[in-house]
Amino acid sequence: MTNQTTKELHSGSREGGDIVLRTISLSKRFGKLEAVKDLNLEVRRGEVFGFLGPNGAGKSTTVGMLLGLITPTAGNIELFDRKFENNQWASLRRVGAVIEEPAFYPYLSGRDNLEALARAIGGISRAKIAEVLELVGLQERAADQYGHYSLGMKQRLGIASTLLRDPELIILDEPTSGLDPAGMKEIRNLLPRLAQENRTVFLCSHLLHEVEQVCDRVAIIKQGVMLICAPIHELLAQGQMLQIKVDDPAQAVAALSALPWINSVKRENDYIIVDAPKDSASRVNKVLGEHNIFPSELTTHSVSLESVFLQLTGGDSSD
Amino acid sequence: MTWVLLFVLIGIIVVFYLVLLSIAHGTQGIGQGSEPTQNMLGLSMVTPFVLSLLFPFGIILSVIVITSSIGTEYNWRTIRTMLICSESRLKLLCAKLIAVGILMLIGMVIGIAIGFVMSVITTAIGGYAFDFRFATGEYLWNQFLQFWRSFYVLIPYVLLGFLFAVIGRSSIPGIVLGISEFLLESMITAFLYSAGDWIAEIPKYLLTVNVNAINALGKVPVKVPVVSASSQMPGLPHAFATVAVYNLVFIVLAIYIFRKRDVTS
Repeated sequence: MTNQTTKELHSGSREGGDIVLRTISLSKRFGKLEAVKDLNLEVRRGEVFGFLGPNGAGKSTTVGMLLGLITPTAGNIELFDRKFENNQWASLRRVGAVIEEPAFYPYLSGRDNLEALARAIGGISRAKIAEVLELVGLQERAADQYGHYSLGMKQRLGIASTLLRDPELIILDEPTSGLDPAGMKEIRNLLPRLAQENRTVFLCSHLLHEVEQVCDRVAIIKQGVMLICAPIHELLAQGQMLQIKVDDPAQAVAALSALPWINSVKRENDYIIVDAPKDSASRVNKVLGEHNIFPSELTTHSVSLESVFLQLTGGDSSD
Repeated sequence: MTWVLLFVLIGIIVVFYLVLLSIAHGTQGIGQGSEPTQNMLGLSMVTPFVLSLLFPFGIILSVIVITSSIGTEYNWRTIRTMLICSESRLKLLCAKLIAVGILMLIGMVIGIAIGFVMSVITTAIGGYAFDFRFATGEYLWNQFLQFWRSFYVLIPYVLLGFLFAVIGRSSIPGIVLGISEFLLESMITAFLYSAGDWIAEIPKYLLTVNVNAINALGKVPVKVPVVSASSQMPGLPHAFATVAVYNLVFIVLAIYIFRKRDVTS
């Protein structure tokens, strides 16, 4: 993806929805390490926002700052149109969060843990605790000690804890971290339900495939710097290619390379891959026909979020 | 953890009473030494005796409780969960301190209750006479004051352990440094006294000497393991004020560090 394209996507935004979370030149430095640099984010009400980056990119530091656990070195956070540092508790009352692996008291039951949190928050009824336990499917195991829970159950209890205060914004940092495929599926099934009722979900995840499925927009950061922030469909459309099979690939490459509206043409085995604007398949077909080249196959080749991610982050696949 | 420490406290009191009983039995008929020991088993000595035991052992147990209360939050990483759900870090910290303070008071009351039970048992086993004439209004008032004085002198060590647990984000530094201070300061004080001149004045501003000055009001039957000359003990107002300053410094530092420090994974 070219720099120009990246900039275009940066400025591109989805219409509608007021801003529930905004960071303005947010930065954090740990000694010599600049973990987050001038981060500008806007998360709109009702969207599922994906926040991606390789390990050590600054995702958890950003989440820590959003939740008041880490003090920014510079910049501001606005939650619900109010400066976070001046209204920390008022803002956090409207936020639910699970950071990496949920952490609860291992000697207490799931229900008792939620009751402890409910007391800390204040104003939460037992009926609400029962309701959130049911929502995450833990009502039958609510009396069991948290220490005996499986990772999937721990994650579900973590999500239940975020729902205690009916949050408008839910921040989930690696909610599927350490889960087996069944656990991941459980969480994946829960996410769309969380995003209901005009809630906003801010999702940090390693699972790009799942982010691709559930997120409206994504931001990708690397080494504390935001590389891109765009609606997911735009991001994927930018990487859409045409995959063409012809008898004479060399002639086809020559014919298409000469066209100014085609970004690139390359050969891959028996196919040629054409990077051209979206919906240009018929034009490409017409040009090939004019050169007496008749494709036996012409398909749209979509890229995955994973390949966009790897391309942007320089092929770092550690995530 | 709390239950285990409570049982340890009860165990210590029970063992001390049984040791005293065996000493009293062993010295019976020898003609000397048995009477003071018998007196110590009596009901009148329960409160001063138990409170004097609480000073060395209560400090250790209280430091373990307070440092665990904050250290385990870091170990289990529940600190993040709680901070997100708490109105302020200050409130969370105060809640911890109040909870541990209440636990310490409960421990002291239970300790005294166990002392009474053991006193009754050992007095009965030893065949000594029960005497309730000691329970005058003045006696009860003195014991009430001594109870709170004993609580007061535990606080600086507890807060010191708490401070180190906050700094180290673990219970280990709090336990090690909190208890080490208690044990080492007595030795350091002895060296400072022996140095003479203005150096001998330094202990007056240290913790243990002032704590000993307050403890001396209790007329405890068992000497606590400290080195101090009564002539070098500071006056009571000085002792109370110095301990209060230490308390204030430790708590302010703990709160400041806890509020300012980033909570990372």
